[in-house]
Amino acid sequence: MIRFNNVHKWFKDLHVLNGIDLQVAQGEVVVVCGPSGSGKSTMIRTVNQLESINEGEIWVDGKNVADPKTDLNALRAEVGFVFQHFNLYPHLSVLDNITLSPIKVKGMDKAAADKQAVALLERVGLAHKKDAFPAQLSGGQQQRVAIARGLAMEPRVMLFDEPTSALDPEMIGEVLKVMKDLAESGMTMMVVTHEMGFAREVADRVVFIDHGKIVEQAPPEEFFKNPQHERAQQFLRQLLTPMS
Amino acid sequence: MRFTTRLLTTAVIASAFAAPAMAEGTLDKIKSSGVIVLGHRDASIPFSYLANDPTKPIGYSHDLQLKVVEAVKKQLKMPNLQVRYNLVTSQTRIPLVQNGTVDLECGSTTNNLERQKQVAFSVGIFEIGTRLMTAKTSGIKDFPDLKGKNVVTTAGTTSERLLKAMNAEKQMGMNIISAKDHGESFLMLESGRAVAFMMDDALLYGEMAKAKNPGNWVVTGKPQSFEIYGCMLRKEDPAFKKVVDDALKATFKSGEVNKIYSKWFMAPVPPKGLNLNFPMSDEFKALVAKPTDKSAEEM
Amino acid sequence: MNYNWDWNIFFKSTGIGSEIYLDWFVSGLGWTIAVALVAWIAALAIGSVLGVMRTLPGKVLPAIATAYVELFRNVPLLVQLFLWYFVVPDYLPEATQVWFKQDLNPATSAYISVVVCLALFTAARVCEQVRTGIQALPRGQSAAALAVGFSIGQTYRHVLLPQAFRIIIPPLTSEFLNIFKNSSVASLIGLMELLAQTKQTAEFSANIFEAFTLATVIYFVLNMSLMALMNLVEKKVRIPGMMGGAK
Repeated sequence: MIRFNNVHKWFKDLHVLNGIDLQVAQGEVVVVCGPSGSGKSTMIRTVNQLESINEGEIWVDGKNVADPKTDLNALRAEVGFVFQHFNLYPHLSVLDNITLSPIKVKGMDKAAADKQAVALLERVGLAHKKDAFPAQLSGGQQQRVAIARGLAMEPRVMLFDEPTSALDPEMIGEVLKVMKDLAESGMTMMVVTHEMGFAREVADRVVFIDHGKIVEQAPPEEFFKNPQHERAQQFLRQLLTPMS
Repeated sequence: MRFTTRLLTTAVIASAFAAPAMAEGTLDKIKSSGVIVLGHRDASIPFSYLANDPTKPIGYSHDLQLKVVEAVKKQLKMPNLQVRYNLVTSQTRIPLVQNGTVDLECGSTTNNLERQKQVAFSVGIFEIGTRLMTAKTSGIKDFPDLKGKNVVTTAGTTSERLLKAMNAEKQMGMNIISAKDHGESFLMLESGRAVAFMMDDALLYGEMAKAKNPGNWVVTGKPQSFEIYGCMLRKEDPAFKKVVDDALKATFKSGEVNKIYSKWFMAPVPPKGLNLNFPMSDEFKALVAKPTDKSAEEM
Repeated sequence: MNYNWDWNIFFKSTGIGSEIYLDWFVSGLGWTIAVALVAWIAALAIGSVLGVMRTLPGKVLPAIATAYVELFRNVPLLVQLFLWYFVVPDYLPEATQVWFKQDLNPATSAYISVVVCLALFTAARVCEQVRTGIQALPRGQSAAALAVGFSIGQTYRHVLLPQAFRIIIPPLTSEFLNIFKNSSVASLIGLMELLAQTKQTAEFSANIFEAFTLATVIYFVLNMSLMALMNLVEKKVRIPGMMGGAK
């Protein structure tokens, strides 16, 4: 579904992505973790080309995203993206946030789009908020709407860039639950997160990245029980005893 | 509406404060302050304008104004009377005379009934006819030839009013352009936007003298009106008015006015050394022979 | 001051046909509104395009927009007006020149010049407001729009501009009022808008204070009404749950 072939990216002198090779199969849920500044957010943003790459190839659903001939807008329509800061459109109601792209990009008619949006809002438990505006919702609610917005394009892949790290602790659970349901429905997912509980419970594979390189990837049980790489060990120790 | 009322109140209060200065006559004011304030223009060539010295006006009207100053000195026995200059525009000249800032304005101000409600006029110092300037090749000889044509005049002048009235009454279908000053009116004529420029004949000669090729242009047409220029002073001040009128009449009577006239209308004048070549009209000769402070419309 | 007040002057005959002075003010106000409104609509359209250009990726389009702004903001309005009225027409093809200068009613050709002038001048100022509004938005907004497959055009149309315009309603209101005040330059090329009619009334009637007082009141009432209108617009588009506007 997604394939990275020796991907490199530089920000000026900084080598953010240093030869990434990775494959994500259809229906697979991959959690990407790593210390801050490791390049994990940059990596996930290259998949739909919110960040460009300097070298290598990224294939999504059989299309090379770095090829100038690829229709990026069409590709992005098939790849849902959920941001750390939700990025809902503040001037539109919850319903319009969800229906805007199906109507404008896919040409769906308004009634069908509304119906679909209400169904998605039910799925994330927010049907009663369809007429509210983003500023009237809590962070957790906004992120659930953002997930519904991503799903409205009926994507083949969903990407999550630290979806819970801007949330108050009591709201993290509701978002993770929605993500878990989504994973169970068979969606292909790539998730950048520090929520190791989610990784342990939901992920098929955990990818550990550091200094722009994948240093370890393993099924969650293996990764948490017996991390091979020294930096992965150190990372996990810090996560488990955050105050030290 | 409340704003309007407040604005009006403010205006009325402001005028009330300015009033006490006027309780005394202008002569008393000059005597007690030791200064006479002369109003002048910056570009009314050759009547009152600034040329080489930006602090001191020159011109035909100004020379006559200085005759009045001499008379005031003599009358008040103040040989060292100071003269202060105050530049006025067509919009400010009346209020500045009224509120006491300017004691005497001599420039190119037409004496008419509307203005007589606000200020007093000296005996006439010049008389013009309102006529046309056009290209020699335009084929235009007189006002009836202007039917359906673009004609320019300067905004706020009597010519503008006459032209508009003529257009309405005789249904001539002229397009009238009101330019902001004489220079711009001439530019409209020169650039082909208008076929003719209606204005006071003396001012038309002034513009013609400034043109790149003065020979291309001609002043033509039967005068549509005659206008008498006068010096402006405050109303209801007979003592000062008498000094002003007497000084001007003496200048007319002695023939000195002819010398002043020739200096400004028949010889090169600053700043460019232009010669207007504008001989004294019969109408003005009559005015000099028989001075009056009436407007042309009253005669 | 022995000024002769006469507030009935506006109902007295001007001496031209059956006109009274008040007619001049009415017609002047009509021209002022016709100049300002048309120029404003054009300025808003041109300025928005330029403002978007300044925020686009790449180099060429932003540079063009920047050059435009620098040029039109730094040349005095009056100079621009004289260029549009006296100089530019001289570079038109011969036939167009004759048409513009002679066949066209002089009021129409002055009107065209002043509308073009004010529209282009104000567009530079609108451009800067629009640019500021777009740049004030969080970067995540365009990323979110692009991520669902919007083109750049759709991103601006549906996501960025609706928010940016809400932010800049107050500065745009002041530009809107400015264009009404600036429209008085039209009097300098012979278009008889409100200020020109005021001056003419002052000259003809010698009731200078009355004329300018009425003009002041008209400009004031006009600006207050426009401000009230814009406040209404601002309230109408306010986003629920947010104070003031989008951030």
